[in-house]
Order: sequence, then structure tokens, then C-alpha cells
Amino acid sequence: MNISFEKKEFSEKVSTASRFALQRHATLPALASLLIIASDDGVKLRSTNLETAADLKVRGTCREKGVAAVPAAILSQISSSLSGEGEVTLEQVGEILTVKTGTSKSVIKTVPYDDFPSIPFPESGTNRIVLPGATLKMLFSALAPCASASSVRPELASIYLSIEGGVLTAVATDSFRLAEKKIPLTGRGAQGKLLIPAKNAADIAHVLPNEDVIVSFDEHQCAFIGDFGTFITRLTNSVYPDYRQIIPKESIVEAIVLRRDFESALRRTAVFSDSFQKITLHFDPKKNLLSFEARNADIGESNESVPAKVSGDSIDLSFNHRYLATVLGLSNTESISFVATGVGRPLLIRGVGDPSLLYLVSPMNQ
Amino acid sequence: MDMQDPKELWEQMLTQVELSVSPANFNTWFKESSIVKVDDGIITIGVPSQFFKDWFLKKFHQLLLKIVRDISYEFRNIEYQIVKDERRKPARESARDKVLVELPLEDFYVNKSDNLNPRYTFDTFVVGSFNQLAFAAAQAALKRPGITYNPLFIYGDTGRGKTHLIQAIGNQFKKSYPNRKVFYVTSEKFGVDYTDAVQAGAAAHFKNFKEKYRQYDLLIMDDVQFFSKKDKMQEELFHLFNALYDTNKQIIFSSDRAPSAIPDIAGRLAGRLGSGMAVDISEPDMESRSEIIKRKAALSGVLLSPEVVEFIATNTNNSIRELEGLVNNIVCSAQVKGSAPDIAEVRQSLRSFVRPQKTVSVKHVVEKVSEFYGIEQESIYEKTRRREVVRPRQVIMYLLREDFNISYPTIGTKLGGRDHTTVIHSCEKIKREVVEDSELAKEIQDIRTMIS
Repeated sequence: MNISFEKKEFSEKVSTASRFALQRHATLPALASLLIIASDDGVKLRSTNLETAADLKVRGTCREKGVAAVPAAILSQISSSLSGEGEVTLEQVGEILTVKTGTSKSVIKTVPYDDFPSIPFPESGTNRIVLPGATLKMLFSALAPCASASSVRPELASIYLSIEGGVLTAVATDSFRLAEKKIPLTGRGAQGKLLIPAKNAADIAHVLPNEDVIVSFDEHQCAFIGDFGTFITRLTNSVYPDYRQIIPKESIVEAIVLRRDFESALRRTAVFSDSFQKITLHFDPKKNLLSFEARNADIGESNESVPAKVSGDSIDLSFNHRYLATVLGLSNTESISFVATGVGRPLLIRGVGDPSLLYLVSPMNQ
Repeated sequence: MDMQDPKELWEQMLTQVELSVSPANFNTWFKESSIVKVDDGIITIGVPSQFFKDWFLKKFHQLLLKIVRDISYEFRNIEYQIVKDERRKPARESARDKVLVELPLEDFYVNKSDNLNPRYTFDTFVVGSFNQLAFAAAQAALKRPGITYNPLFIYGDTGRGKTHLIQAIGNQFKKSYPNRKVFYVTSEKFGVDYTDAVQAGAAAHFKNFKEKYRQYDLLIMDDVQFFSKKDKMQEELFHLFNALYDTNKQIIFSSDRAPSAIPDIAGRLAGRLGSGMAVDISEPDMESRSEIIKRKAALSGVLLSPEVVEFIATNTNNSIRELEGLVNNIVCSAQVKGSAPDIAEVRQSLRSFVRPQKTVSVKHVVEKVSEFYGIEQESIYEKTRRREVVRPRQVIMYLLREDFNISYPTIGTKLGGRDHTTVIHSCEKIKREVVEDSELAKEIQDIRTMIS
């Protein structure tokens, strides 16, 4: 094998692919390595940790075909330190891969590539939708933190995507809060429900480009395809709860506040929250105020009121402030509406004039 | 060694595999896999994801085949299946979890692949004279699916337990035939799928749609009367029906009326719907209603006294769904209070539940009742004791007392100046009779609908 690339292209692709290799060395060495395939179709970089996989096209010249597996950590350390213009040349002889730049030369021992697993692409002719990569990035990075961090319930550790009637509905919940975001699709007809493990979604969100991406899926995996190549994740094989049932229909009070008021009040009050990160919201319909209160025995306490349009009854509810802050990443409307449904019952948060978002957060016991 | 025990077989295989592959390979690929079933010489190995499935097929298939053939010649093949992500039950509760109120997601898992609600089973299904035939037909269809009664068409008024019965068939089918596929769909969902496929325009989508419904061994379609007037959808259902029927796949329909009575439905489809077995679920009789009430209450852990059960059974109309609502209502108040409710409380809560308290003039009631029995309104107020007048008058008193909670003396005065003891006697009499005399119960029910 003898191939060469632009330094920048090479280091970008290697660092992207390395994300999808196993970091630990403990198991199969092939899983902690990058597979370099030089063929008539060009040069490809592959990596997988059996949860996700990357199959990237690298622009470069191929003078001699070949296949080699190289420890991902080593290659990414070398490539990330490459600077300036110029070319990198990779040359494989026997079990040795030589990486040459104008001034440097490194020799790396390769790993037997027989053990490198094949990457399962979704069956052709399956469902597919096209979405801007930027939208997917936003969706995954905003929703992934709302999914459960524990793997006790694999379906809750996943982002649920439902494609129906030309709308993509994405949901994540850890059973303490729930976020639902809807996105209209350009093409109709595709249909399906998929559960992407939240961790995998977050990993893929990091590396997706902003351009349009084809999302293709079958029963067991989902691929993100573009000019760059393909990213693949396995899907959670489980049943998602019918979450729509828990969305409250009644309300006792609604408060509408300006986003920037909410953001700054929350940030200041959160400083004084206790070890449970508790802050208390007080809805005051008489004075039209929404107050934030927190008390920490070791630090002190804080109380802050922001002007709001409050209609309904007065009520106090306590929340984990991190759960409230999450909503800021999900919607960027100027005003935010908080609908309380009762003591010990969830709070419904929406962006005013933004029907695409629904955020539900469960209160703390008082 | 027991060759059929998947666990033992897998362990035996693993000891062989370990000798042939590197420890790293062994740990990566074999640790999370296991045999899910051995059936008719075919071993199915459950693997966590497609990565594993592909790699097993590519790398280890020959090796595993050789190993199992060495163990026994009866094994013909090995298949790989991606298993469900398990729910690892014992959750470690952190301090945070205790402080937070959890969203009640737990109750809302519906099986995605077949759409069946696991709550509906035969264990909770009450069989009475009103649904005996339908129940027997369902059992027969389950015994020899696709052959005995195909299609099975179940019809009856709303709230009679059609959905419960057909979903129970689905759930039972799943249990009896774990390898076959069941699908429950409402006609509305079928319609949505159809329109989506049509709007997509591409032939591939339409093919997907067709294939999706043709793959099931048991297809359950609820509320087919909604196909009325939808010609294109009827045509699609017609073709689907033929495809399933010709391959002896069981089809079950439900509707609120008999196949021939569904308006605006193509003759050939109506004919096919009724071509197997069409059974109706009639209205539940008194005993069945009591039984249903007892079961539902017992499910929620509340024991109702016989009088209470009887009272509810007599005072509700024929919808089981409404009955369930009532029982839930009573159970809920019982849980709040912490004891089983007595008859007086039940009467109170029933009144507000079934018929929202309304102010109705005595005259209106008299008018409706006399209209119902075909007698002169005036005769009610007169002092006559003719039989055809006495009965309606007693019914009026009973209704005024039971439904509108008017005091005995007032009722007496309004109905021509009668003594309140007469009124009490009349009410008690009707109340006694309504329990035994189903005709009277029906009459009173009809009158109630006229008044409200």
C-alpha cells in the first residue's frame, strides 16, 4: 500500500474515525484500531466499537492498493500534531506502516486486520429521510442529555425517533424529565420508529457535517450517509413507552417569562442550590411574578423574582435546576411558558410560539 | 447431557470454541451471546446487534456448525437472531431518585411489534351468556388458526368488550405460537398507513405497505365499520384479505354491526367479511354485569359488598366500558378513604357519575313516562288506581327519588297530593322489582335515556 493525502484532510479524518474505535486496549486489538483500505474506489478509513461504526472517504492519491489496521490512538496522536501545508504519505511493507511527511518519518507496527469486523450497513431499499446535518446535530446534542444515563432500561437510555406523516418526532426521557422535539421533513412517505442509544447519538452529533445527511435505517441499525462517508449506530431493540399518555392535559397556572430573565435568574439562584440541586419556583398570579428561591445551609440563600404574565392559582414547586436549564438548549424563542399542573405533578415548559418543543419536568418532593 | 437444554448446549459449545479462537476474540464475541432456542434441529443463537450477527455468519458459522455436528447429528443448522435489549430489573436507587417524583412511564408500554396491549388477556375476560358464543368461537379459532373460523367477525355495540376479546385472542396466540406473527391494527391506523403510502407516490413505499400487512399469521383489525364509504381503502383491504385468506392466515375483524349491515361497503368485501364466522356480543345480563364489577374491583384490591355490586349492576346501562369507569370511580374513592364504600356512598357517587345532576321538572318526567306507557298525563295526577296508571306512577316516583333526589313529601305533593308513605312504598316496590324483572329494568333504562 502506498497512499498520500493533504495533511489537514488526513488529520481531520483520522481524528473523526478514532472517536468510533474502542479506547481501551483490553479486548480485541482490531477494535481499537483504524482500518485503512486503499482500493480503486479511493481510500477509506474504518473503525468500530460494535456500538457505532465509521466508514470515511479520504481524499488522496492511491499509488498502490492494500489494507492495514493501525492502532487508532497512535495514528491519531501522530496526525493531530501535523501542522502546516504539505502531504502525508503512508506506505505499508509487511507488518510495518511508514508514515512520512516532508521532514518526519514514523514507523508503526500494524495489527492483524483479519479480526477487524465487517460493518453492517442497513439493508438497501429501506426507509430513508434527508435532513440537514446541522439539524441532526442540534437535535441529538440537545436531547441526548435528557435520556437516562443508566442502562437499566435500555429504551430510556435511547433517543426515540418517530417518522410519520412527514414529521420527525424525537423524544428523550430519563423518567424525571421528558423532551419532545418535532421537525418537519421535506419528503413524505418514509415511516418508522427507531431507538438510537443516546450515547451513540451524541457521538455521531459531534462529527456530522452541517450539510444534508441521508438517514437510512432498518430494524437493527441506522446509517448517516453523506459525501464524507457513513456513520452507523446499532438501534436499541426494545419498546418505548407510550409517553404521550403522561403529558398532562389540565393546568392550574401558567407563567410566561422572557427567556433572558429566566436564564439569568436561574443561573444566579442555582449558585445557592443544595446538594440535591433544588430550587423552588413560586407562581404569583396577584403580583404577576415568577420567583426563584434556593437555600443551602453551607453557603446561604437567594430569592429572585422576575416579571411574568401569570394566570391561574398560586403554587410552589421545587425542581432540580439542571433540568430547568436544559430547556434553554432546546428552544430559542424569546419567551418561555411554564404550565404547572399541580403539587407533585410535572411542569410543562414550551417556547412561546414554538409548537415544535415540549418539555416536561417532574418536581421534587417538597 | 440434555441436548435440548439451550444453556447446557451453549456451555458445551463454548468449551470447544474457546480452544479454537483467541481469548480476545472469545471475550469480544461470545460473552454476550447465548442460545435462545433449539427447535427441530435448528439452533438459534441470540446476539446483541447486527455487528455480531454479520460477524458470526462470516467468521464463526463454519466453526459452530462443526462443533454442534460433533455433539449430535440431529442439529441441522444454526441461525442468528438479534435479541431484545433486556431490562435489567434491580435498579439501584440513588439519593436523587428518591427526592424526585418519577413520571409514570411504567404503565404505558405497548408492544411495538404487534400493537397488542398486554393488559387484555383471557384471565381478565368475563364470560357470560351474552358473550359465550363469541368466546367459544375465539377459542376455536385459536385452536386451529386460519382453518376453523376464518375470518372471525365479532360485532356488538360499543363498550361490550370487543376490543378486549380480540386483543386477548392476539395475546393468547402469541403465547401458544411463539414463532408466529400477530398484528393488531385499528381500521383508522390502516387508513393512515394507506394514505401515507399513497401520498409518498413511490412504488417502493406502496410495496412496503402491502408487504407489511401480508407478513402476519394473525391479523386483527378493529372497528372495520369505519371503512364505510372509503372505496380505495376497501379495495386494499379486499386484496389484503384475499392474500391472507389464501395462505390460511387467521383474520379477525370487529365492528359495531353485522357485516351485511355496514353501510356503503362493497358487496364483495361485505360478503368476505361474513364468510367465516360472524358472532355478536349482546348486552350483558345482570349476572354478568355483577361478575364484571366484582372482578374489576378485585383487580384493584377493593372488596365490594354484594349489595353494592348489585346496586351498580342494576343502575348502569349495558356498556361495560361505562361500568369500568364506575368501578374505577368507586375504587378511587375507596382508596382515598381507606375502606370499602357502603351502599349509600356508592349511590351518591354513582348519581353524579352516570347522570350528571340535572334539574328536571316533575312535569317533564311525568310527560315522558306517560308518553312511554301511552297513557294520559292527567291520569297520573288523578286518584285512580287502575293498573295501567299505577305502575307508571310508581315508576315516576322511583325515578324522581333515585335520579333527581327529590324528597318523598315533595314527590307526593307534586303528584296530586299523595302521602309521603305512599311514595316510599312505591319507590321501594319498584326498586325491589327492578332487580328481578329485567323487562322493567329495561323500561326504566329507556325512560332514563328519554329524560336525559
